[in-house]
Amino acid sequence: MQHKGTLSFKEAGSVPEPEKKKAELKITGMHCATCAVTVEEALANVRNVTKAQVNFGTDTAHVEFDPSKVSIAALEKAVRDAGYEVINREVVLKVGGMMCATCVQTIEAGLRALPGVIAANVNLGNEQAYVTYNPSLSSIEDMKKAIEDDGYQYLGIAGQVSDEAETAARNADLHDKLMRFSIGFAVSIPLMPLMWVPLGIPMQALAYGMLIVSTPVFFYVAYPIFRAAWTALRNKTLSMDVMYAMGTGVAYVASVMGTFSIVLNADYMFYDTAIMLAAFLMLGRYLEARAKGRTSDAIKKLAGLQAKTATLIRDGKETEVAIEDLVVGDIVIAKPGSRIPVDGEVVAGESYVDESMITGEPIPPLKAKGSRVVGGTISTNGILSVKATKIGKETVLAQIIKLVEDAQGSKPPVQRIADIAVTYFIPVVLIIAASAFIAWYFLLGSTLLFALTALISVLVVACPCALGLATPTAVTVGIGRGAELGFLIKNGEALELAEKVTTVIFDKTGTLTRGKPEVTDLAATGVTGETLLSLAAAVEKNSDHPLAQAVVRAAQAKGVAIGDAEKFDTLGGKGVRALMLGKEMLVGNRTLMQENGIALPEGMDAKIRAFEQDGKTAVIVAAGGQVAGVIAIADTLKSTSAEAVRQLKAHGITVVMVTGDNRRTAEAIARTIGIDRVTAEVLPGGKAEVVKALQEKGEVVAFVGDGINDAPALAQADVGIAIGSGTDIAIESGEIVLVKDDLLDAVAALELSKKVMGRIRGNIFWAFAYNAALIPVGAGILYPFLGFVFRPELAALAMAASSVTVVTLSLLLKGYIPEAKKKDQRR
Amino acid sequence: MAIDPICKMTVDEKTAKFTSEYKGKKYYFCAPGCKKKFDLDPAKYA
Repeated sequence: MQHKGTLSFKEAGSVPEPEKKKAELKITGMHCATCAVTVEEALANVRNVTKAQVNFGTDTAHVEFDPSKVSIAALEKAVRDAGYEVINREVVLKVGGMMCATCVQTIEAGLRALPGVIAANVNLGNEQAYVTYNPSLSSIEDMKKAIEDDGYQYLGIAGQVSDEAETAARNADLHDKLMRFSIGFAVSIPLMPLMWVPLGIPMQALAYGMLIVSTPVFFYVAYPIFRAAWTALRNKTLSMDVMYAMGTGVAYVASVMGTFSIVLNADYMFYDTAIMLAAFLMLGRYLEARAKGRTSDAIKKLAGLQAKTATLIRDGKETEVAIEDLVVGDIVIAKPGSRIPVDGEVVAGESYVDESMITGEPIPPLKAKGSRVVGGTISTNGILSVKATKIGKETVLAQIIKLVEDAQGSKPPVQRIADIAVTYFIPVVLIIAASAFIAWYFLLGSTLLFALTALISVLVVACPCALGLATPTAVTVGIGRGAELGFLIKNGEALELAEKVTTVIFDKTGTLTRGKPEVTDLAATGVTGETLLSLAAAVEKNSDHPLAQAVVRAAQAKGVAIGDAEKFDTLGGKGVRALMLGKEMLVGNRTLMQENGIALPEGMDAKIRAFEQDGKTAVIVAAGGQVAGVIAIADTLKSTSAEAVRQLKAHGITVVMVTGDNRRTAEAIARTIGIDRVTAEVLPGGKAEVVKALQEKGEVVAFVGDGINDAPALAQADVGIAIGSGTDIAIESGEIVLVKDDLLDAVAALELSKKVMGRIRGNIFWAFAYNAALIPVGAGILYPFLGFVFRPELAALAMAASSVTVVTLSLLLKGYIPEAKKKDQRR
Repeated sequence: MAIDPICKMTVDEKTAKFTSEYKGKKYYFCAPGCKKKFDLDPAKYA
């Protein structure tokens, strides 16, 4: 499991391991599951690459490699040799201090030496450096350092071609496909009736005419298919493109042979079919490419939260700079309505900051001097001066984006079934196609025309494109949806395990409860409740014990006047003592009262017992030797805890609570929220053992904790669900991270996982179903019974339909609202 | 006026920021790139 890998790596810190770096490459030109497999193999075969994973849905490759031995350029070359392209980011930097051509060479060499830089060209005339780079390996910060290390000045970013490059490449690709299939249809549709309508032209003349018209069109429309097929053959793999090339190629070659009466005669006119087939294939690819582009909208939404520029205060002047040019320690200004550009600390000003995009909290908290702010949040009504503490990749938002991107690129194990199926699929299809041809032509004595039709149909209908799209599109959309709903699912494996969870273990303090004791009851004797609180608070305000602070907070909240006490003294674990208006005040437990000879009034003892039964801590307050009352203090439950537990139970999941508290308190809390299995008095390190014990009994365990002190248990669990409020520690420690402090999100995450996995299975089913049902039809199995044979162009349409079905089903996940979230929506 | 041995530009000795000494002789450069190149293999340019 991934997280365990990282954990053990940290533990084994002293053992020298080869340096590993992860890079993400944007790939273009993939249009089939086999393409993804081809690219994956091409990358994995590069020496010193330890891992390569390609996501066909997002067109990205995640590569793990040793940067001291492999350059990013070598990886790109591998991709290119396999017949695909890599898209990079481009940036234009302003450079100062250059005098001559040598400077140009020096800077270019310095930039090119960076691991992620693919090309660097420096223009002396306009003092700019044009850099093509991979942002997952080298940042603009690194380039700045390289330029400065060479003795020149980095003067900022002149222009960024980054995001547009990707969009432009995508649009060009879409346009290209659109052109090809449009021309294909425009030519093939009028050609078709020519084959059937008698025109009074001799067949032979028509055939020559068709040859002349069709040949350029056919090669234009089918070119991408043949090029891809050629690449596959050169890579010694059989891709789907090889099958299409065979299918359309056979149709075209048979027509040419018919035209010139080589073996065949003029009845074998498939020109229209050949073009239409290629056009349908291009249409399918066009639709697929369009749908694919929409699966990663969630990332675009998150990235949209990032400010592009910042108003910087340097030398007392305001200047607008690109976000990449900020350094830690810079003071930036956030005006009302603008996004705070970086994570930082407020140094001046006051404003309510809308953090709902990060924490989900609908009410904007007030930020003033000393408050921490997160980049991407919006200052609503005031001007804030913020000192940058984290920039670039380090910011919370950047980390969330990275996490979602990585997760979307990962494959749940179920995908392996599809991957394996694809590799067996092609030979099987080739055999079926050949057998169909042989059976019809040689054994059953049907016409060559019929046998060829069957052969072509089988080759065309057998595309496993849908199979290749089934998992990645669902994972991408599902994880994106999770991010929108407020929980980050870290990888595909987590999705699959989350679906299987049988037991959910909740940590008590800080997870089910607020982790902060609060005054829950007041039982005063002889005085009012307010006086009791006032007396206790006057004494307790001198202490920083959590219980004492709870008393003070309660007094402040109720607006009770808090007096002053003298001669404050703590009595080690029993309570505190002080003097107030000449009277001796004692605040503490039973033992303290007994030791000081103070008797509990009638009924008080029963009350204290009742409080304790409920898991509350009873604090007795005595003034001048008389008991004034009891204050009950307890760690209060979060508002959604009970509901989350109820919903999990409704899903048939066992709910367990672990805590370091004593059994009585723990059971009292568990009773209130409906948990019937409690493991109490667990030492901090023992939570992981509890998880392990349940796992050994065969349970699939999810652990819900707050991420910082529950890290070992989160790691041991099959699915660690970390509650964080957007802090980086929480992001590190779980497979699923809840951005908000709401346990219902844990339920929602499990529900979403179930939904996504169901969708993946459904997709794989549909992908197989199309093929399983249509291959025999294509082979002509229905002909003897129904007289029905599949036209090759119908086969092409059916194949495109299967891809579109699968992608559409995945896109439907975008609107999915987990049961646990439905109330939220209504609210 | 001195001549930058790398790029052959004229450099004012009084204001030159980038200089190197090789075999007792002082060389002046227009910019850090030239100095760097010279320092890597001074014998070639001196």
